[in-house]
Amino acid sequence: MSVNDLLALTPILILVLGGTALLMVCAWYRAPRPLLAGGVTVALMAALAAGLVPPPATEISGLFSATSYARFFTILWSLLAAAGIMISARYVIDWRLGAGEYVSLVLYAAAGMALLSSATHLLGLFLALETFTLAFYILIACNRRCEFAAEAGLKYLLTGAVATGFMAFGIALIYASSGSLHLPEALTSLTTATGALQAWGFLGWGMFLVAIGFKISLAPFHLWTADVYQGAPAPVSGLLATGSKGAVVAALVGVIAVAGPVWHDLQDLLWFMAVITMLAGAFGAFTQQNLKRLLAYSSVVHMGTLLVGLICQSAEGNVATVFYLVAYVITSFGAFAVIASLADERGEPMHFDQWRGLGYRHPIRCAVLSLFLLSLAGLPATAGFMAKLVIFQAALHSGFTGLVLVGIFASLISFAFYLRVILVLYQSQNETSSWHPGSAMEHAVLTVCASAVLLLGLFPGILLDLISLILT
Amino acid sequence: MASLLFYILGFIMLTATLLCITRRNPVHAVIYLVVGFFALALMFYLLGAPLVAAWEVIVYAGAIMVLFLFIIMMLGLAPQELPEGPNWHRWGPLVLLSSSLMACTLLLIFQDPAATEIIGTYYLAPQELGEALFGRYALAVEVVSFQLLFASIGAYMLGRSLPKEDDES
Repeated sequence: MSVNDLLALTPILILVLGGTALLMVCAWYRAPRPLLAGGVTVALMAALAAGLVPPPATEISGLFSATSYARFFTILWSLLAAAGIMISARYVIDWRLGAGEYVSLVLYAAAGMALLSSATHLLGLFLALETFTLAFYILIACNRRCEFAAEAGLKYLLTGAVATGFMAFGIALIYASSGSLHLPEALTSLTTATGALQAWGFLGWGMFLVAIGFKISLAPFHLWTADVYQGAPAPVSGLLATGSKGAVVAALVGVIAVAGPVWHDLQDLLWFMAVITMLAGAFGAFTQQNLKRLLAYSSVVHMGTLLVGLICQSAEGNVATVFYLVAYVITSFGAFAVIASLADERGEPMHFDQWRGLGYRHPIRCAVLSLFLLSLAGLPATAGFMAKLVIFQAALHSGFTGLVLVGIFASLISFAFYLRVILVLYQSQNETSSWHPGSAMEHAVLTVCASAVLLLGLFPGILLDLISLILT
Repeated sequence: MASLLFYILGFIMLTATLLCITRRNPVHAVIYLVVGFFALALMFYLLGAPLVAAWEVIVYAGAIMVLFLFIIMMLGLAPQELPEGPNWHRWGPLVLLSSSLMACTLLLIFQDPAATEIIGTYYLAPQELGEALFGRYALAVEVVSFQLLFASIGAYMLGRSLPKEDDES
């Protein structure tokens, strides 16, 4: 560790040390509002530092990179953490979750996600993944008055522990085969290894991908998703659906960029996985009567579509994947933020019966929710449409016509179940009860997300240019 | 010789962990797990990492397993009634596994220190390990230490008693 390493780590240090400082403050001073404001400030400062402080080195301790790609995701996850804290404010105050602990855990999770997106070493990747997974174990179960939360926390803990076991074993086998944990070498020497050593290395690589599959809920490892998202508080589900999955995908983009033929050899298997993930998610969502569960299955479909972009293993595919990821993060987080903004002392509106006719009670927020759902479905003029367009285009250019057809079929099914929610929202129902009017901060987050969805849908070129710039 | 020892230890370890996850009695399971950890420690020793072997015994077999037993006792999970008779089928496998483990340990203790056919040529000195941990991988150690800090915060958050409804902060 040198001074240069520490300077390059500045945004992460701000997140982690800021979180720890808030934790120490909350030992004596437990008023929630200043602590929440402090958390938002720390996250925004980290985003600013990531954008403004040029890193003196491109690699930190050989574990993490400090390239503009890493910085881009550091900014994204820091902003996401700030938005997450903003929409959690009422939960923390009303349900008395312990503001200091909650805020510091969100900041710590953001630090983990930022580290994961910039991992260049299998050890760094493993540790960063465990870092934010651990924070999420606690955040999911943090509302102790809700029995679903404890169940969700336990389910996430058990699947997470299984995934951790697979990943640790996989990394050990990769190391045994290639003799290196540093990323380009660890995977490229898998292809040059011979005999049994190569077989063990490939087994390890497969186990590594199984663990990744658990984390981003690719079928058949997606079964935990709906239960966990249903039980966790909506802001945490929002962070879980976007940040934790997004960081893994971002790391995967970095890994496969250097993986070379190792990734290419798995193409058939991944092709099959992408197909069943998209279909399992789409058909699973179809029967749901609960908006949070529906969004969980929708995230499964989106992860399958992201896998399509990753399979291409081309520069165009990587740009499309990152663009899709950003569009998905904003849209899906926005949808969870709408649920969070409606929550009151009765809990969150989840079942479709509770949503029936809400479009007339809360017209603006339901319109915004409809916008997010249509963007998730891929309606033209929204971010979701452009994202699907670029990813399918990249897949077509790489020659995956079948995959694109399945993707379009899954999108069509998605349209049906998203439209069902919108129909429920605007059904005439006289005896619907009103929900919480929402705080100013929640409205601010929703405004930002909604305008970002429209901006990315109408002017995608700005972000696409930026992404192709940082990926080269 | 070393590879023979490796296979014996591997067999002990796999059998012990298999028995561990199939036992109904949690105390028995913990004891089989301890046997597994001892076998793992000897394997680290064979690989030329005596310090890691010592840690395996002290930290895992010692501290963490005592913690497990403590929690089993606190939650009252251990069965109360004592079995009658010698019950060879219950503790026979354990005696077999731990005595073969003992034999391996004695063999390693009383072997000729100059002989290199048992232990490989590679030897990880504690100093080298410390330099790697706190030099090259210092950042990783920091990440892990923060993880432990937040794990304890999580235990506090999930384990504390719920605040009463009337004390508004």
